[in-house]
Amino acid sequence: MAELEQPAGRFRVIARGKLADGRVQSVIDSSTARLRTNRIDAWDELGDVPERRDRAYEIRMRAIRDIDRLLEEFRAALGARGGKVAVCATAEEANAYIVDVCRQHDARLVAKSKSMATEEISLNVALEAAGIESVETDLGEYVLQLEGEHPVHIVAPAIEKTKEDVARLFSEREGVEVPPVLEELTAAARRQLRDVFLTADVGVTGANFAIAETGTIVTVTNEGNGRLVASLPKVHVVVTGIERLVERLDDLPTLLELLGRSATGQRLTSYTHLVTGPRREGEEDGPDELHVVFLENGRRNLIDTKYEEMLACIRCGSCLNVCPVYRHTAGEAYGPVYSGPMGAVLVPLLVGLEQAPGLPHASSLCGACSEACPVKIPLHELLLELRRDLVDQGSASRMERLGFFLCSLAWSSPLGYRLSTRLARIGHRLAPRLGPGRVWARGRELPAFASRRFRDSS
Amino acid sequence: MSRVQLFATCLGDLLFPSAVEDAAALLREAGADVTFVKKQVCCGQPGFNSGHRKAAARVARTFDRAFSRDDPIVVPSGSCTTMVKHYLPELLGVEPYEVWELSAYLEHQGIELPERNSGRTLAYHDSCHMLRDLGIHDPPRTLLERSGATLVALERPDLCCGFGGTFSVRQPEVSVSMADDKLASSRGVGAEALVTADPGCLMHLGGRTARVGGLPVVHLASALRRGVEASSG
Repeated sequence: MAELEQPAGRFRVIARGKLADGRVQSVIDSSTARLRTNRIDAWDELGDVPERRDRAYEIRMRAIRDIDRLLEEFRAALGARGGKVAVCATAEEANAYIVDVCRQHDARLVAKSKSMATEEISLNVALEAAGIESVETDLGEYVLQLEGEHPVHIVAPAIEKTKEDVARLFSEREGVEVPPVLEELTAAARRQLRDVFLTADVGVTGANFAIAETGTIVTVTNEGNGRLVASLPKVHVVVTGIERLVERLDDLPTLLELLGRSATGQRLTSYTHLVTGPRREGEEDGPDELHVVFLENGRRNLIDTKYEEMLACIRCGSCLNVCPVYRHTAGEAYGPVYSGPMGAVLVPLLVGLEQAPGLPHASSLCGACSEACPVKIPLHELLLELRRDLVDQGSASRMERLGFFLCSLAWSSPLGYRLSTRLARIGHRLAPRLGPGRVWARGRELPAFASRRFRDSS
Repeated sequence: MSRVQLFATCLGDLLFPSAVEDAAALLREAGADVTFVKKQVCCGQPGFNSGHRKAAARVARTFDRAFSRDDPIVVPSGSCTTMVKHYLPELLGVEPYEVWELSAYLEHQGIELPERNSGRTLAYHDSCHMLRDLGIHDPPRTLLERSGATLVALERPDLCCGFGGTFSVRQPEVSVSMADDKLASSRGVGAEALVTADPGCLMHLGGRTARVGGLPVVHLASALRRGVEASSG
């Protein structure tokens, strides 16, 4: 999981590159605008979104605060249906478990549907190291796999790619020219992936929710690949965070109604797949074995802390689509897995603040994310808390700490304020050459100090 | 006559004293007896938003020492109002204050305004904390219209201008691009000036237009008291 780590300064370097790329700017702008307006229209249609968000928040937090009981309940319910449950504390443990399952079945080919949890643990890398080929079957993920890149949006992973990019990749793969026409591209994807579905030994999917009461895995998709991956191979492995559990089947409608609408503006996605156990006797479809891997990977530590609300996230991507910072930087600046406001909060919590000290500052704290969150995670408030923890644990730079210390000392009394601002006015000519003033002045004029402060004339 | 305490804010005091003066004049026009407590300094928001709580508290204590809880406090800044209202009491462990953002107070008092902006087409930029944390959407618009202006809606009036306190120097390139978005969308809808109720947004957007040109960016108090034409000269 080392890739999640984000050294200070990396965000700005990547953001700068993206800002200079007019094509990326316009693609991200139009794509996020479409997703955002779709979401807003879909919320408007519901009419009672405030109450629904309250209910969704309650459902998610009730589950998170009772996670151990729910895990046991899920294990028992799925066990009774012949499914197996593993709770893995780390990415390594989860990967080892999955590789082990593959080896038991002499698997050579794994078909995957879109799963951010498997991105988080770098499952493809682990499978490859074990000599097992793994193919992404979600169209966006497949495109990225061909390109050797990571997702830049949690719902639309290849949001930066145009149909011309995809045509180039598919043409290279087939050795013949595939024109950049949507129907042709879809047909090419079908040609290239069909055999994967039919010959894969193991199918790996994520889960949008796991229902403790019934031991049911819920996935929502639009392409249908998730269903093929979950039903054609002999073995189905589900990888998901422990926090995706919900208590009861009755909790599901509230969440599904918000998830599709918040992610893409859809009332319901094309496929809503509920899996409860492997194929039973007399059934024609379905895998012989079903494994559900619940991933902790730092999540458990968040329960009962000021950050536990982050676990309520249902990965709809709504916060990315409203974020003005994401709109200009796109996802790569946040790291290879989670991006946008939810990534800026979640990544430091999973890997440790000192491993991603820049992310809490990758926000203007405008609060558009919190407003757009269907489960009411106060994202900008959590960013503020992370900044506080950065300072308290000594991760802020020495210059920054000294700067704030000295300024606060000067401004701890009216006299100090008067003297320091008089000094600042004298030294104002130096400001464009020093520290923050210099950075500011690269794109903007520094404000001029008024010849008389307001207090001097009142 | 109702007494109010005017909190100039540090940016207002140092960089935009005429906007604060306009705020004081408007408050008097609305029938308030305005006091300016000279002991005031700053609410501590810069340190607070950067995570430096101790530094923030050291500064915020000046606020607590300067202001009384007997009369309402009025602030010509949405974000400083948010700091004082939502965060400062908890930061210092003190009782809350009755604090008002300027336009909300003026509107509440039912201020009558001369039509200093008649014939003017203006756009209003919602500052983030004012809109989302304080929920103040209508008052600045109502007041601008009362002053004779025709308001044109920005495509996304709620989109952050990119200031964000220290964000503006931690991510300067993104910050400036966000300002450019805001300025371009204002021009796009045919506004002659962009009005904002926050000195932070004003400093950022105004600093960008001073560098690359663009329409005037004016503080709400000045737009209301002197008209945008006189304020942007």
